[in-house]
Amino acid sequence: MTRRRFMLLATNVAGAGITLLIAAPIVGEVLQPIFARRRHPWVRVGDISQVPVGIPTAYVVPMPTTQAWPVPPVSRIVYVVKLNVGNQIQVISLSNVCTHMQCDVHWDVNLQQFLCPCHGGFYSITGINIGGPPPKPLFRYRHKLIGPTLYVTDQLTEA
Amino acid sequence: MANESTRSKLAARMTHPVSRPLAIVYRWVDERMGINDLLYKTLYEAVPRRGAWAYTLGSATLIIIALQIVTGMFLLWSYVPSTTEAWESLNFLERHNEFGAIVRGMHLWGAYVLLLVIGLHMVRTFVSGSYKKPRELNWITGVILFLLVLGLGITGAMLPWDQAAYWTTIVTTHVLSYFPGLGHWLQEIWRGGNQVGPVTLTRTFAIHIWLLPALLVPLIVVHLYLLRRHGEHGAWINYRGAREEPDGEAAAPLVHAEPPYPAVPSDPGYAVPDDLDEFFPSQVGKDSIVSFALVLLIFVMAVVVGSPLEAPANPATLTYVPTPEWFFLPLDQLLVQFPQAWMIAVGTFAIPGLASTILILVPFLDRSPDREPWKRPQLMVPALFTLLFLIFEALLAVNRLFNL
Repeated sequence: MTRRRFMLLATNVAGAGITLLIAAPIVGEVLQPIFARRRHPWVRVGDISQVPVGIPTAYVVPMPTTQAWPVPPVSRIVYVVKLNVGNQIQVISLSNVCTHMQCDVHWDVNLQQFLCPCHGGFYSITGINIGGPPPKPLFRYRHKLIGPTLYVTDQLTEA
Repeated sequence: MANESTRSKLAARMTHPVSRPLAIVYRWVDERMGINDLLYKTLYEAVPRRGAWAYTLGSATLIIIALQIVTGMFLLWSYVPSTTEAWESLNFLERHNEFGAIVRGMHLWGAYVLLLVIGLHMVRTFVSGSYKKPRELNWITGVILFLLVLGLGITGAMLPWDQAAYWTTIVTTHVLSYFPGLGHWLQEIWRGGNQVGPVTLTRTFAIHIWLLPALLVPLIVVHLYLLRRHGEHGAWINYRGAREEPDGEAAAPLVHAEPPYPAVPSDPGYAVPDDLDEFFPSQVGKDSIVSFALVLLIFVMAVVVGSPLEAPANPATLTYVPTPEWFFLPLDQLLVQFPQAWMIAVGTFAIPGLASTILILVPFLDRSPDREPWKRPQLMVPALFTLLFLIFEALLAVNRLFNL
């Protein structure tokens, strides 16, 4: 190998080395959220004994932010829906996040449907997408009842 | 080449108002830096006399981008990129710092006017066929710059962390999740998790103030280098009949000017315009007048209308109707028109992606030698329909969101 060829090789190898040494930690920093471990603490929704059957009722729930440094909890809405299924009261806890572009849906009393104002998505009382652009039903919070008190965790499941 | 008498005249002009002491300093610096040569090269280019007012749009774009960079720098004196403090910091600015509120207003209206001026600049280039050989790369870098400015517009709209900003962040980052295959990861990378939160705002902030500008500024340098290399002409109006021998004869009347371009003549007919003028002061004067009018417009809008700050971000709303920035209305309408399952990816990625690709490839789709718009109906007609379609889509979106 001539001195000239060695210097050409050195330029390429060292250049690649410099790029790699700078890029590797940056790529790691940017991608970290994909690999982060998630916590799903239980959050108290409230006493749901007064929720009428067949009328979705919005509860504002202080959800802790688990994917950042400690910040105050952020309010989110949980729609508690009681349904009469074969003489049994079934409770579902619907997320009010539209499955199309994640805008907030609300229960429209006149239409008897959940309505998304962004692009006109419609959902039935059980959260089934029945009109407009949403590709999926509303997600359901994993929940548990302790006496009359409902607790949810942000592990969302499809209906 | 620069002739000596012109160059000393230039030196005299630069130092004239302040006289002898400054002239000595100027000469000392010039000896070491060659300022005269640089000024001569940049100011005394031969440019076409016809169409000069239409050519002011490019420099206006540059001036407004400079305005955006400077006002942005000084917004950082007041803004905190934190979900708990961003809104508070801007609310404080709006309520207790009147001039700061004007700076913020100028950054917003600067963005709006910039998008309009870039659009006009692009329309002018398209209609006049100026993207043809050897200026294909001027066009391509220009389209990429336009897309970067759109990116700066949308990320800037996310920063105030009011209701408008929050829901823009939600929708924009969620659009990414529909990208075939990688969507879920792209969304998590931008959001810093699966939820929009504090990390989303710091990442969006970094994209807006460093990542996109760091791409924008060098690309502007390339765009301007290509402009100087190929000359500020290329439109049919600069040529009345083909010239056999481009250089020399046409430039002869301009004793002060650099020889005309382009460095890579496509054909003799389009090598050099038949009516030339000096860049300085003829073109620079027109550029300055147009840029002043636009900056004045931005200033007046900033003072009179200002920049809105809605209620703080609230993820738990049952009444707020999110609306996109006006320049994203056509894309928002596509979200309605391409509903459910795989169709959403068509509206969010396939159509905008295809449109951007076609826009970039314009110089290669139109290979005819003609530059007159009426001789290129195969491009002008589809382009006109695309423009009308965009306006139509925006009107549909306005009708849907505001019930007008």
